Amino acid sequence: MDAHATADPGGSRWGPHNTVTVVDPSPVNWLSITWNTMEEANRVDHDGIGQPSLAESWRWLDGETLELTMREAVYQDGETFDAAMFKLGFDKVQEWTNPHPPGAFLNFARDVTCEAVDDRTIRMRFPGGDSAALMKLRGMHLPSTRFWNEWGFIDPKTGSAEGHW
Amino acid sequence: MLTEGVSLIDSCSDRVVMEPNPTYWNPARRPTVRIVYDNVIGKAEGIKSVAAGDGRVDVVFDLTPDEAKGFPASDKGKIQTKFAKAILTGVFDERREDSPWRDPETRRALNLAIDRQRVLDKGAHGYGRVISAFIQPGRYGADPGMSPLPHDPAAARAVLEKAGLAGRELVFVASPTWKGVVEEIGRCLREIGLSVRYVSDRDGVPDTFDVKLEWYFDWTPQYPVACVHREFFGKDATLRQGPEDPGFDALYAKLLHATGEDVEDVTREVERYVQDKAKALFLYSPCTLFAVSDRIAFTAYDTCMSELAETRIKG
Repeated sequence: MDAHATADPGGSRWGPHNTVTVVDPSPVNWLSITWNTMEEANRVDHDGIGQPSLAESWRWLDGETLELTMREAVYQDGETFDAAMFKLGFDKVQEWTNPHPPGAFLNFARDVTCEAVDDRTIRMRFPGGDSAALMKLRGMHLPSTRFWNEWGFIDPKTGSAEGHW
Repeated sequence: MLTEGVSLIDSCSDRVVMEPNPTYWNPARRPTVRIVYDNVIGKAEGIKSVAAGDGRVDVVFDLTPDEAKGFPASDKGKIQTKFAKAILTGVFDERREDSPWRDPETRRALNLAIDRQRVLDKGAHGYGRVISAFIQPGRYGADPGMSPLPHDPAAARAVLEKAGLAGRELVFVASPTWKGVVEEIGRCLREIGLSVRYVSDRDGVPDTFDVKLEWYFDWTPQYPVACVHREFFGKDATLRQGPEDPGFDALYAKLLHATGEDVEDVTREVERYVQDKAKALFLYSPCTLFAVSDRIAFTAYDTCMSELAETRIKG
């Protein structure tokens, strides 16, 4: 993309010609901004259909074991995304009792396990099965190490990430 | 990537700025524009800006049917609609033990009293589709054998009179967005000798009412029951206005433990259960409505979220 002189403060290449300004009065516009800036294993496209995202595919090995193949990707800060980053995201979300604002229905059970089999393969085990697993993965954000180190969904007012994911 | 501002559950900055990540792995979803969320200008001013084409605002989300209908004729902007995964439905107040709405036959009778197409056309300017229960036809989990409950005012009157509701004034709580819908429901109910009083939910929910209208949406990858049905009827529902329903809870547990194609079969079973028990006053699936500047090609999402990866500036 070419740089453009603009009237914007700071003189960035971004100006009115390539800026889209939106007004979103929804009380959940924080979630839209999360989904515009974070990525998860899977997502939902504009037709409402589930699609692979940072996981390029997945399959149930049996009624309790989900295997996901991670995509080769690089975060915007240059860090490589791999299965270990997925595992890190899982470990982080499991640190909290009820991290998701929409409610506990998005929680993974405490006995769910996640193993990075190799750089691209994740194996999750759901004792007793969980048909909601892919829905829950849609809400499990997979940011870079820098995000976890500097923010980590912690509310600065409370020091907690409960209900703040 | 987020370059300016914050947007939290309880607060947001005046504006939130996001700039494209030029190295993003998916070219089809690599944004080409900077996105600015203006959290100050307000919806009314935003709509005016889109219509005037003054460049301050390009998209306004979540217009009400009245706002969409009232959008001025303009060659600078237009109303864009999307049949997203949303419902508008009535929750019965079943909190009191003697509530007449604890009886599925009474709940079903109120459903029979409503001419849904008329409510949609006259109360919401036709922005939506009448659906059977909570899942739109053709979507994951929709049961092709289901159809909306019929409009049968005579049958409705007979049951409601037997339930001791003859001549009653029913209290409907709703957002001001849906006041026109409530008024049209009132016209339907007048035909069977009932009346309706609208109470705005902005004034606080009264201790007792009859029906509360709720708009809700499904953001999930084909798992609507957890997001929507559970939120209305589940053990941990936030919208339920009555006792827990062991029948629903058992079906939800069955769904969670289903595998393969059984998952969609159980989803259909839940949808049928909700209609068979007349668990709600089913109305319709409202369109999501946007005011959109002519300078951009805006891709709306069925999840009702303002995801903007594919939105482009024309030309």
